[in-house]
Amino acid sequence: MNFLNTSAFWFALALPVVVVFYLLKRKRKVQVVASSMLWKKFLAETQASAPFQRLRHHWLLIFQLLMLALAVIALGRPFFAGEVSKGGLLVVIMDTSASMQSVDVSPSRMDVAKQNAKDLIDTLGNSDQMMILAAGRQTQVLQSATSEKNALKRAIDTIQVSDTSTYLLDAFKLAQTLTKNQEYAEVHLFSDGAASDLNEFEPEDLNVHYHPIGSRGHNVGIVSMDVRPNPDDASTRAIFAGIVNYSTNRQDVIVELKWKDQVIEARPLALEPGSTDSQAFIAPQEENGIFTLQLNAEDDLSVDNQASVVSLLPKPVRTLLVTRGNRFLEKALNATRNIELAVADQYTESSPEADLVVLDDVIPLTWPAGNVLAIHVTSTNWFPEVSAVESPIIVDWKAAHPMMRFVQLDDVQIAESLGVKTPDWAMSVVESTTTPLILAGEPDGRRAVWVGFDTLQSTWPLRVSFPIFIANAVAWLNPSTAQAAMVNVRTGDALVATIDEEESAGILKMELPNGESADLETVPDSSQVVFGDTSKQGVYRLLNGTNEVWFASNLIDPSESDNGPRTELNLGGFNQTALEGQQRANLEMWRWLLFAALCVLMFEWWYYHKRTA
Amino acid sequence: MMLLMAGPLIQNDLLRRLEQLELLARRRVRSSLKGERRSKARGQSVEFADHRNYVAGDDLRYLDWNLFGRLDRLFLKLYEEERELPLSIFLDASESMTFGKPVKFDFARQVAAAMGYVALCGFDRVTVDVFPENTEETAIRQSLRRVRGKKSALQFFRNLGQLNAGGDCRLNEALKKGALQAKQSGVAIVISDFMDPEGYEEGLRALLGRGFQVQVLMVLAREELEPSVYGDLKVVDSENSSTQEVTFGKYRLKAYQKTVNAYLEQFKNFCRMRGIGFNLTPSDSDLDQLLLTDLRKAMLWK
Repeated sequence: MNFLNTSAFWFALALPVVVVFYLLKRKRKVQVVASSMLWKKFLAETQASAPFQRLRHHWLLIFQLLMLALAVIALGRPFFAGEVSKGGLLVVIMDTSASMQSVDVSPSRMDVAKQNAKDLIDTLGNSDQMMILAAGRQTQVLQSATSEKNALKRAIDTIQVSDTSTYLLDAFKLAQTLTKNQEYAEVHLFSDGAASDLNEFEPEDLNVHYHPIGSRGHNVGIVSMDVRPNPDDASTRAIFAGIVNYSTNRQDVIVELKWKDQVIEARPLALEPGSTDSQAFIAPQEENGIFTLQLNAEDDLSVDNQASVVSLLPKPVRTLLVTRGNRFLEKALNATRNIELAVADQYTESSPEADLVVLDDVIPLTWPAGNVLAIHVTSTNWFPEVSAVESPIIVDWKAAHPMMRFVQLDDVQIAESLGVKTPDWAMSVVESTTTPLILAGEPDGRRAVWVGFDTLQSTWPLRVSFPIFIANAVAWLNPSTAQAAMVNVRTGDALVATIDEEESAGILKMELPNGESADLETVPDSSQVVFGDTSKQGVYRLLNGTNEVWFASNLIDPSESDNGPRTELNLGGFNQTALEGQQRANLEMWRWLLFAALCVLMFEWWYYHKRTA
Repeated sequence: MMLLMAGPLIQNDLLRRLEQLELLARRRVRSSLKGERRSKARGQSVEFADHRNYVAGDDLRYLDWNLFGRLDRLFLKLYEEERELPLSIFLDASESMTFGKPVKFDFARQVAAAMGYVALCGFDRVTVDVFPENTEETAIRQSLRRVRGKKSALQFFRNLGQLNAGGDCRLNEALKKGALQAKQSGVAIVISDFMDPEGYEEGLRALLGRGFQVQVLMVLAREELEPSVYGDLKVVDSENSSTQEVTFGKYRLKAYQKTVNAYLEQFKNFCRMRGIGFNLTPSDSDLDQLLLTDLRKAMLWK
């Protein structure tokens, strides 16, 4: 047993005082009465039998001493170090995701989590060590392992809640590494449990304690937002939004659409519990700008009540088709909306400037600098080795990839394909049993789609899916699409801006959503600047001389908006380990001691009155 | 009427009203001395009792001539003999009676005086048996025995007034002795606070056994019923000087009264089961009320 507050033992000096009280003679008023008979009868009815008369004083004294001793020990704040007496390492993981901003517990979940973590710090034994991790988009080690409680509490105080989704996986992996060689270690997670990435985590023998925070789920949030050209009218934009009510009762909200901070439309919505409401707005757009959706709702989490999208005016895609003749491809490209198509039979340095170059089985003399759709050709530095594969069978495609939207490849046969291994820069979009057939990625700072087979050597051009794929590919390879993807990011993701080196003013300025600004230094010989601190939601403005680039950082995460607290967490994909709320075993005992002291006090009171009854 | 110098004992107007009272005997008296009470004995009085056959030697004055005229036989008329009703008052003069406001003993002897006066007016013999014994007052106490006649009332009162209380109670002993010594049974009135640790049962039984019609008058000080002294007390018994440490507070008053009531209830039950009249009277209660109302209701007198 250890004591946190040994100075409290000075109160033990009060013990002799009790004895002194008993040394003092009790003064009794002498009262002569006619007969003590009635008094004796009276006492006999309420008094214990006589033999203990002499002892009784001592008993009271002992009770009082016992009570006082218990109180003094309680003031000393003793605790049993329990199983961590050998000296253990505690890793505290603080969830700093957006849902921790919920105010269902006062003042907020983050503050409650901080307080709980501090309570945990108080239970540390002398030989225990603790370290504190803040699990945001990047896991930060706020305090390395120490027994210094004040340092730990200061580290807790520095934690700031972000607008990002929950990323606990990195923190858990870090904790796993840190505790690997420890004789005894515990991982304490302070979170509301809105974590979606833990399914991939195998806790092995990690001793994880989950401290759930939060009391209820009461939230309405924007879970999706997208701005597209209006298919009916090219001069307007269609804004799609998904709004979900995660609370248990009906919510009446007003959703406002703003264009450059001006409200252009407002709609009242009545959301049933658990329901999703999809809203489509049509708005004219004549210049690049920002659409903002604002949800006026009284809920616990305000961060997801707003979302912004930077919408850039579409520009025609200047496309150069380099082919020895492919009518199917040419037709498919021509059918694509918003395209300026030129055809050539070879690509040279003198070829016209194009946003997108389609290389159809033609090895260019010089490799184009822009985005490329390469069909049955490879750049030498894309793959380490290239082989040939006979009759590959399509087994899988990533339907979720924007390029594969509405594309079905069930009925496509291929005579021959190049055989490669998926490189680091690309992801496999369509796969056969032996080789990826279509890859999409961003090598050398531009987008590229690689099709491994000659389309004329397959049945694909005859299928409906071919023109759809071409249209999707052109849309994905369109530099303005890429730019749109770069200017609309999730909170926590880095902002990447492409700048012309000549135009660069040396130091760029980034205006943050809260009105502050940060200076960005460009790296020489680099056409990109990267800004990483996007943990706050909102619109960021990059000022480069007279140029201005907008970025929108949004939470847009259904699992954060669904802010009902989870009492258990699932770890591991298949071998599911549920983490339930647990308390650390070595709690302080002063409460129990004080309770015992109170019991003794009450017993003593009863005893006293029994005695003098 | 004659005005008695009753001194502080009893007010004159109360005396006057007491004169109109008459002790009630539940049975016919068995006294051997002539008095004014109906008895079982036959003798001379105006109350006709019975006839019997004339036998030679009977007083001819008592022959019923009317019967002789009708039946031609001689009958003798018998009359009830009237005898006296002896009243024994057992007066507790122990130390414990010196307590209370007013002092219990003063109240007790007032009651004794009043009862004695009622008996004296009714031409009954009164014996005041004062206990415990006190050798210094032997003469006075002796003169309180077998007092008779209204003319003795003044002396009777004076003697009562000169009594002093002190000593241990020993109620049982005194009552047993009184029962043995009584020449005739009659009405016995026990005036005491009954604060004897040894109890009262034996003494009262002895009186009943001797044939007394017993009336108990329990005199308690108000302080004994509702103690007003609070705090840490060392209670000293006035008679046997035994001490008892008590911590007493207002909040325990009810518990105390419960104890006292239980004791009184027990006493009352004892009396009720044996036909003993019981009266509880605090020493500060109204004498007139007690004598003229309460004891009347108790059928001690009318």
